[in-house]
Amino acid sequence: MSAADKALYEAVFNENNQEFVIAGKLRPRREDEILGLLEGMMAALDNVRGTFYLNVKRLAHLNNIAFRAIAEVIAEACERRRDLRVEVITSSVVGWSTRKFQQFARHSPRVTVNEYDKDFYPGQSFWEEGGFVPTLRLQTRLTWRHERKLLPQHGLRPGMHVADICCGIGDFAVLLKKEFKPGRLLALDHSRSSLDYARKVAADFEISDIEYVYGDASELMIEDNQFDFVTCRHSLQIFDKPELILKELFRICKPGGRVYITNEKNSHCLGEPRSDSIQWTYTEVAKLFAHFKMDVELGPKSRRYMLDAGFEDIRVDSFMVTNLDGDPQEFADLIKAWETVFAGEMARDRGDPPEFLAKFRQGFQDHIYAALHPKGYAGWPIWAASARKPA
Amino acid sequence: MSGANQLLELSMGIEHFSSEWIHCDRISSYVARMVSHNRADSLLYANLLSSALNELLETVFAHHGPNGQLSCRVKRAGASDIIELSLPCDDKALKFYTQAADMLDRGDIADRYQEALFSSGEQDPHLGLLEVAVDYRAKIRIAPAGEHLTLSAEMTLEGAQ
Repeated sequence: MSAADKALYEAVFNENNQEFVIAGKLRPRREDEILGLLEGMMAALDNVRGTFYLNVKRLAHLNNIAFRAIAEVIAEACERRRDLRVEVITSSVVGWSTRKFQQFARHSPRVTVNEYDKDFYPGQSFWEEGGFVPTLRLQTRLTWRHERKLLPQHGLRPGMHVADICCGIGDFAVLLKKEFKPGRLLALDHSRSSLDYARKVAADFEISDIEYVYGDASELMIEDNQFDFVTCRHSLQIFDKPELILKELFRICKPGGRVYITNEKNSHCLGEPRSDSIQWTYTEVAKLFAHFKMDVELGPKSRRYMLDAGFEDIRVDSFMVTNLDGDPQEFADLIKAWETVFAGEMARDRGDPPEFLAKFRQGFQDHIYAALHPKGYAGWPIWAASARKPA
Repeated sequence: MSGANQLLELSMGIEHFSSEWIHCDRISSYVARMVSHNRADSLLYANLLSSALNELLETVFAHHGPNGQLSCRVKRAGASDIIELSLPCDDKALKFYTQAADMLDRGDIADRYQEALFSSGEQDPHLGLLEVAVDYRAKIRIAPAGEHLTLSAEMTLEGAQ
């Protein structure tokens, strides 16, 4: 293996959490080609107490030569150290790895395999399991009226290679496909049920050239510098570590390409009449999300996040989805769906008392009242930001 | 498999192929990416196909005749893909692949795979084929024809993980 080939993988030991991370591609011809990695692992194994974590979440490929060498080092350490346990952390995004390391667990009783999945996404279950698909579709329909005009201002052009990360049920990707005719369109999400739905919708519409792929937005198995335009909508705000996702969006974007994100500032949802009640409830919505480690106030922070991630030429727009955009009943339906999830499942999971819930629900009802009132106005503000990856 | 469509064929001299180990990785990565774009999950599919193909290529890298062409073909029949590697074959290579075919015909390949994976000392030269047969549930066929041999693996990778 040449010096260039060695760079195909990286191995790092994090002493604080006793975790040895191997990422990239490990396909040596001989064991001695990965001697540095093996010696590093031996030293790490000697230094840990209790459980040694072997993180292979981002190890895309591993041949048998490397697998056997790693297994031997671990087996020898387990032989020497009776107190030692080894937990291998795999990802379901890498198809072979859990199965392969489970062979190791069957062979060595002190080795266990933990397929890392949902822990990173505290809010995912609310969207996946709440029958929320019609609401997500409605949200996209309402925001698309604004975004289809904004996207060209943020640099989207026909023929570009586009990735929609955290694509959810894939409806935005379908709209992108129809309106902007990208040269390549990859839509990725970490929810298998959402992707199944997306593929079904695409099949129903006979759209065959959107690549719907399963993946973890914070650990994308996509090579660097692949896309001219990367979108990630309404998603940074529901992850507890948005900077990790932004780092990945930056990585897969081509130099000179742009990353486009949308996020909310929920406490700024508004309506007239009954503005005080509405404002109180949406301020509480932000607190409720914060309880579940989600920041639905992220919208105006987009600029800071993008600067911190190394982007340049940052453009920030905001737009207001309102009851006047189209059918006010659609807007009212959206608020009703929010009430069901926020005041229902989420507040219930937080353990909120009945008197709080009554007042909390009232704000949503008042927002609906404002939306449907003949002289009323109701709004939902969104921040759309994009930035260029330096060439 | 009858009715399979050929998606891709890639050929190179066996001497050139076996001059650099990295060719196994390069070919498996390239082929996997080329044939996976229209699978339901292209990235996952390419990841699995590349892993299986790489094991086959690493086996061929070590066991082949001295002169002639190596061809890598991928054929598709519905959910199944068939990888075909045609390679030059001499007596030594023929003996290796004949033994491999006998071993794969036996009913204990899962145990044999586990044993080969964790045996001490030199790696079992059949380990790659065992992995493809067990982990990827591939139907492996070995067909000698004169000075050439075709090694094929038929796999259904979607939903296999």
